Parts: sequence; C-alpha cells; structure tokens
Amino acid sequence: MSQSQTPLSTNFPASAPASGPNTLDIVNLRKVFGGRGKSGGVVAVNDVSFSIRRGEVLGLVGESGSGKSTIARLIARLHQPTSGEIRLNGEVVPHKLGGQGLRQLRRRVQMIFQDPYASLNPLHPVRYTLARPLKIHRLARGNTDPQVTALLERVGLTPALTYAAKRPFELSGGQRQRVGIARALAAQPELILADEPTSALDVSIRLDVMNLMLDLKDQEGLSMLFITHDLAGARYMSDRVAVLYAGTLVEIGPAVQVIDQPQHPYTQLLKSAAPKPDAGLTPDHIEARGEVPDLSTLPPGCPFEPRCPYAMPECKNGLPKLYDVGEEHQARCLLHDPAIKAQRAGAVAGYAL
Amino acid sequence: MNGLRILLRQPRSLVGAGILLVLLLMGLLAPVLTPYNPTSLEFSAYMPFSAQHPLGTTAIGQDIFSQLLYGARLTLLVGAVAGLIATLLSVALGLTAAYVGGWVDEAINALINVFLVLPGLPLVIIAAAFLRGGGVWPVILVISLTGWAWGARVLRAQAMALRERDFVQAAVASGEGPGRIIFMEILPNMTSLIAANFFGAALYAVLSEAGLSFIGVGDVSLVTWGTMLYWAQAKGALLQGAWWWVAMPGLGIALLGTSFALLNFAIDQLGNPRLGWGSVKSFRRTLPPAPAPNPNALLAVRDLDVGYVTPQGTVRAVRKVSLDVAPGEFVGLAGESGCGKSTLAFAATRLLNPPGEVLGGSVTLAGQDLLALAPEALRQVRWKEFSVVFQASMNVLNPVLKIREQVYDAMQAHGITDPAKLDARARELFSMVGIQTRYLDSYPHQLSGGMKQRVVIAIALALEPKLIVMDEPTTALDVVVQRQILQEIAEVRRRLKISIVFITHDLSLLVEMSDRVAIMYAGELVEQAPAHELYAHPAHPYTQQLMKAFPPMTGPRERRSGIPGRPPSLSETLPGCPFFERCAVRMPGICDVKPLETFRIAEAHTVACFLYDPAVSPATKELALSHAPNSVIAQPLVSQEVRLEPVPNPALH
Repeated sequence: MSQSQTPLSTNFPASAPASGPNTLDIVNLRKVFGGRGKSGGVVAVNDVSFSIRRGEVLGLVGESGSGKSTIARLIARLHQPTSGEIRLNGEVVPHKLGGQGLRQLRRRVQMIFQDPYASLNPLHPVRYTLARPLKIHRLARGNTDPQVTALLERVGLTPALTYAAKRPFELSGGQRQRVGIARALAAQPELILADEPTSALDVSIRLDVMNLMLDLKDQEGLSMLFITHDLAGARYMSDRVAVLYAGTLVEIGPAVQVIDQPQHPYTQLLKSAAPKPDAGLTPDHIEARGEVPDLSTLPPGCPFEPRCPYAMPECKNGLPKLYDVGEEHQARCLLHDPAIKAQRAGAVAGYAL
Repeated sequence: MNGLRILLRQPRSLVGAGILLVLLLMGLLAPVLTPYNPTSLEFSAYMPFSAQHPLGTTAIGQDIFSQLLYGARLTLLVGAVAGLIATLLSVALGLTAAYVGGWVDEAINALINVFLVLPGLPLVIIAAAFLRGGGVWPVILVISLTGWAWGARVLRAQAMALRERDFVQAAVASGEGPGRIIFMEILPNMTSLIAANFFGAALYAVLSEAGLSFIGVGDVSLVTWGTMLYWAQAKGALLQGAWWWVAMPGLGIALLGTSFALLNFAIDQLGNPRLGWGSVKSFRRTLPPAPAPNPNALLAVRDLDVGYVTPQGTVRAVRKVSLDVAPGEFVGLAGESGCGKSTLAFAATRLLNPPGEVLGGSVTLAGQDLLALAPEALRQVRWKEFSVVFQASMNVLNPVLKIREQVYDAMQAHGITDPAKLDARARELFSMVGIQTRYLDSYPHQLSGGMKQRVVIAIALALEPKLIVMDEPTTALDVVVQRQILQEIAEVRRRLKISIVFITHDLSLLVEMSDRVAIMYAGELVEQAPAHELYAHPAHPYTQQLMKAFPPMTGPRERRSGIPGRPPSLSETLPGCPFFERCAVRMPGICDVKPLETFRIAEAHTVACFLYDPAVSPATKELALSHAPNSVIAQPLVSQEVRLEPVPNPALH
C-alpha cells in the first residue's frame, strides 16, 4: 500500500517547551493483524504519530475499530508493532524485547482497563493485586503493606486497611476502578495508558474517577493517554486530543480547540452525533452515509472519503497529509490544502471550515 | 471457602458425599467389620445369608461380605488414583496448550483429538491385556492414560477464555511472569472445573476397572468389585441362584458411580449457577390488588413489584412502580445499572425469567391484563400489540437464515402468508429504518452491528404494534450509528404514531428524545416529568446531581463532581428514601424513617422526595438546604405541592 510519506517534522506539533524529552513519542506506528507480506491483513493502526509531553493528558478519541485500544496495547507491548518507532523519555523501545526488557517496559508503562469487573482477578484480595507490581519490579522489600496502604489512600479508598482485605465482589464499580488505578500507580510508571477507564461505570460515579485521575496528574505530574469514544469526556480530561478514524490519525490539537471548532469532517460528525443536554432540546440532525469501513479493504485515499459530505475526486488520490489549521492544531483533510482552498473559494459559499 | 459452604448446603452434593463417606468407611474399617480374610476358602460353597455370613459365601467358599468390604478398598483406590493422574494430565496438557499456543497448542490439540476418537474401551482392553497379572497399578496406569483427553479439552478451552480476560491481560501488562500468570491468575479460577473433572475421571476409572475385571483382563487374583463380578460370572452364580454374589458388588459400583456423578454435577453447578434454578412459578401475586389502571393509557403499570428469588433471599428490584404511557407517547426511563429499569421492562412485557418473579401489581395494555394472559393469548398479543427491542438483540438474528426469512417470520406467525404481501411489507419496513432492500437477501454476518439492530427494529415494527419497548437499543453501537438509528426511531414514531418506552442510562440522550422522562433509583421511580420540564427544572436531588454529572461539551472547562457513595443493596428493606445516604439535602428523622411517598409539584411533574412534602415544616427544609453549598434545590418548594395517589398522567387527557 502506498502511504504518503509525509516528512516526520510535519507530523509533530511544535516540540514541548524546555522540559526535557517527551514522555512518549510514537512515530509512524503501524499494526497489521493477520495476512502475510504486502497483501491482506487488517490495518488496525496506520502509520500513526503523536507525542505526549511530561505531565500531559492526551485524549485519544475514536469509535470501535478506530485502532485506539490497539495503540495502547502496542505501547504496552501486549501486541508487537508491525513497524514504526516508540520512544519513552527519548529512548527508543527496541523492536525485540527479551524478558528483562519487557519487565522494564512494563514498569515504565502501566495500563488502566475499561471494565473494572473484568480486570481484577475475582479470587485475589485487593492487597494481593496491589502488592504484586511492587514485588515484580522490586519496589518494596519484605512487607508491602505500608506501600499498599499509601496507594489506597492516594486513590481515595479509605480506611485503606479495610479495603486492602476486600475481594473484588465486595467493591462497587467505582471502587474497583480505583483499585485498577492504584495498581497502575504501584509500579511508579512514567506513562499511564487508560483504555476507556470510565465507560463501564455508571454516570453518577464517572466524574469522580475522572477527577481522581486529574488530581493525580496535577499533583504528581503523571503523563497519560486517555482513550475514549466520548468527546465530552475527552474535553474534560485532556490537554490535547487526537482523533482516530479507521486506524488513521485525522486530527490533533488542544482539547478545547479540537472539540469546540473541529476541523476534520469526521470530528465534526462525531461532535454532532454526541448527545448534548446542554444544547437544549434541539438535537443536530446528522448527515452521514454508511458506517466505518472494513479495515481489510480500506480505500486508497482518505479513509473517510466514502462517508464524507465534502468528498472531492482528489480525496481518492492518496492519504492526505496533516495540515496546520491552528496553533498546534492539525487536520488530515484536503479542505485545508491551500491550493484546494483557493480552488473552492468561489464555488462553495457558507462552508463551515 | 464460599464455594464449599454453598456446596454443603446442596442436597445433591450432600447425598453424593454421604454415599462416598459410607463406602470409604466400609473399606477403611473392613478389618473391624469382618473377622474373615476375603480370600480364605475356609467355608462351604453357596452358604445362604446368616448371622455369621451376612451375604453368604461364594462358589469356592469365600465370605462375600468381607469381599465386598475389602473390594471397596481397591475399587476406591483405582478411582481416586486414576482420577487424580488423569486430571493432572488434563490440567498440565490443557493449560500448556492454552498458555503457550502456537504449534505446541496444535500438537497437544491433535493428541487430544486422537485420544478422543480412539474407541476407549477396546484400547483399554488391549493395553491391559499386555500388562495382565501385574497387580492393580498397571490397570490404574492404563485407565489414567486413556481417561485424560476429555478433561484436557474442556480445561484447554476454559484456560484459553481466561487467558483473554482483562485481569490476565492486566497481570501481563504489570510485568508478571508466566509462572504466576498460570498458577496465580488462571489456575485458581478453574478449581471448580478441575474438581468436577476429577470426579468425572474417577467415575470413568471405576467403571473401566469393573469392565476390565469383569471380562478378565485385569488381575483377577485381586479382590475388587470388578473381580467379584468376574468370579461370580465365571462360576455361574446366577445359575446356582446365588444372585447376591452378583448384586452386591454391582450395587457398590452403582452407588460409587452415583456419588461421583452427584459430586461432579454439584461442583459444575457452582460455576454455572443457572443450572440449579428449577422452574419458579413466574406470576404469583402476594400483595393486595393494585389500584385500577387509567382507562386512557395504552400501557398502565400499577404498583408493580418485581423481585429475584435467590438462595440468599429475595431481591426487590422494582418497588411499587406506577407508570402510564399514552398512545403515541415517547417515554424515557432512565437510571443507573441495577436500578431496576430493565427488570421493569422485562416484567411488564412478560419476558421475565426465573429467578425473577412479579410479586404484585398489574400491567394493563389497551385494557388487557398482561400478567393474567395465558401463554397462547400472550403469543397473540405479543408482536401484534407490542414488541420489544433489546440491547444485544442483533444477536437474536439466526446466523444461518437469510434476513428475509427472519423478517417474514413474525408476519407469518400472525397469518400473513401471501408472498407478494410479505415482500412488499419487508421492503417498506427496510426503507423505514434506512436499510437498502438488497440486504433482505443477505445473511446476518454480512451486516454491520448497526444494520443488524436496524433489522431487529424493522422486525419489531412488522405488525404495526401500538407499543415498542426498547431497552438500551443503541448502547452497544458507536455514537454516529447510534445517532442515525435514534433519528430513524423518532421518525418512525412520528409517522406511525406508536408509543415507545425507551430505557437507557444516558439521561442526556433521553432529554433530547422523549416526551416524558421517568427516573428510577434503587427500584423506585423517583421523578417523572415532561422532558423539557425535567431538563429545565429537575426536582429530585438525585436527578439534579445526575444532570450535573455529565462533562459538558461546551463552555469553560471546570471541575464538576459526581454523586458520592453508591446505591443501596436491593436485598435490603429500606425504611425511607433509598437516596438518603447519598443525598446532600437529606432531612434526618424524616427521609430515613417515613415510607417513600410521591408528590406532585406541577401539572405533569411528580417527585418522590420529602422536600416537597407539605407536611414537613419549611424550617426543616431550609435547614437541609443550607447544608448543600450550591443550593441544590432551586425550586419552588412549598408553593404548589399536592399529595396525589396515584399520580395521573396529563398526556392522557
């Protein structure tokens, strides 16, 4: 498949202000499931590049099948990337990792899973779940109880000793997810990958779990990849937002800017489809054709072209590059190409972009 | 262990364990219970029952009672040891295959399949014939080696499923090594399956040993129940009228087999509790009769009480809920998971399965008492008068039937058989829900999740029912598809003027879609109002906090807070308001003591909250409100309340 080989530099937002290397850089990360060689296979992640700065939350937004969870699993090396580079604090994570290297990586990168009812072993008390990372990564000698207690207090599960003795079935969904967060914190990671950590929770407790993660970010400078399908949640949690469609990064920029003034037609569609009680009782009527394409037979051009209300013949020619559309804000859409803009200027009136 | 305690409460496992204990004691206490050596030939042949020989003697003068006791020893030994070895083999091979995967898995799986297709008994016979005469151990070995494959296959499948579970992935992601993953994460979750497997294998071993000995390929010089049968048969015991010589060991084997089978089944049931629930009588009324339904309502739910009857007690999931739906009305029912909203839908449409039970109240659809309908009458009403769409209902499509046949199905069941009519109706339905008619001739797997859910909605519309109950019909779908389907539902409703009860946890979506919204909390209906009214003036503290619990899509970014605490357990009897513990404006001494009441605060707006109770003094209310920093109740409090029971729905007039 011929990808437009965009120069690396344009794929990155301006680098972080002088605070050392980014916590995470991923460069042209690609994952193909199944299929051998050039043909066949499902392109789950299609040459995605982005960075997470120290102390930053990057929201990764997309629908199911967009590749957002796959990216987290590639970073945590639960899957092996097909190609591309992952850098943690400036160091390249080798493509081949032995047992020791894997354990190292898994200390530095921790995951929070979506379903707290599934991600805790039903047979282990909280104490066991939290003590294991400490022991695996030799962060505690002998008695781990003081550290387990400290972790539980950090995530607001007090009195900690009571919670340490409980098994998952004795905890509510929100409490379980707090244990999940504490487990991620236990290894003292540099980066936390939170894969839809609130979507399995009830509305009334979602905000508290989000607030806990924001507090940890503010107080402890944690860097986080926050994966979600919910634009409002991404806006609440993230400093910057990256939008994925069919494995391709289509828009990235400051959270409020991307969600308040989306520049890619797909982001606009996502926004108009979200329920908005704040907007009163006049829901947007959305115009979208079809559904997310089959990832094994992606069109050669822009993956959104078959559904895009603004599709042009040029869109089929190849994957557009990321165009700068604002400060640190980029969108992968030909509508932002200066030549095409000029061409359309007369033809289209009242167009929103 | 919790599992053990449940096991000990079950009659099945108790009987199984009891039998096993008796047989074990028989073997262990043999020297105490009988003075005779089982192989000594000191008595005369075929002696009848007597005090000295309770079960008589054999053709060569052995005491059958002592043979039976000593035989229990070896028979149990074979069962236990062969069962254990076979189970160990199953666990080791099944887990290795599942964990390592790749070619190792393929090789082990091939081995399992070979052993499964080999005819077991002939193989055992051939192998045993080679090892003949070497005592009991060769027999045990042969039985173990032929008895592991079935268990290995089951355990492999289970381990593979566990391996993909999030908690195992989480352990991998936290850096845990293979040993701990297998022995601390996967294996402990398989204990009941392994235990069940052991009793299954032990049963197989006992039966195989008996079979082998009976045909004389075991070591016939040993005393087991199997060899007793062999000698009885060889000496023509039945021809001599000595039936007890055959019957006693046979009975022993049958009892042991029964005991193992009972234990196996009881443990199996631990891992799969549904197996244990027999048919509970689903529609029993124990509460006083409900007030008369509103005659103008299409659907009138009155004082509906629904519970789940479990061994731990009855969980009251829906508590005296009354809800009316007017013809053509779109009613949204919102609440958190476990608040009873789905149970209400299931009960009201007679789809509730045991252990769920309607404990009281009534459900009336167009004048017909739904809860009283006989099954055949219910079948007539269902689909024609009302239909149901569930969250994962796209999974109800039969994968081997074309979509067209499944769309025809409901119509044919209600007497439409003309092919031209069926085709025309199917096309009409598809265009209504926005699917191209060419998909009529597809199979379900060729359709995306969103299209399948559209097909299910089309089927629900097929007979133009007056009411459709939709339980989270779009929750499993992506936002964009969800929005498209919601638009189509809204459009269809406007055109056909059907009523819809739409259940979801997503309040913001309901506010957009519904005419009227009802909020449930912990089994109670706590607030009901027209959607715009509920949005602009939520009255119940729970509703108010719920409205604020969504991150906003617009405006400045600022911290918001959720609702502290968690809903009460529905197995408890609550004296007062179920929201009391979490409420920022609660009034101790009132809210936690008085039985919950519903008050009307505006024409169509009702709320189950004592802040709106005219009987409570304004000073008490002021005091409660002063505890909430942001003045949660921004409502006219004392002005318009009228106590009403039941609450009428003005949309009906």
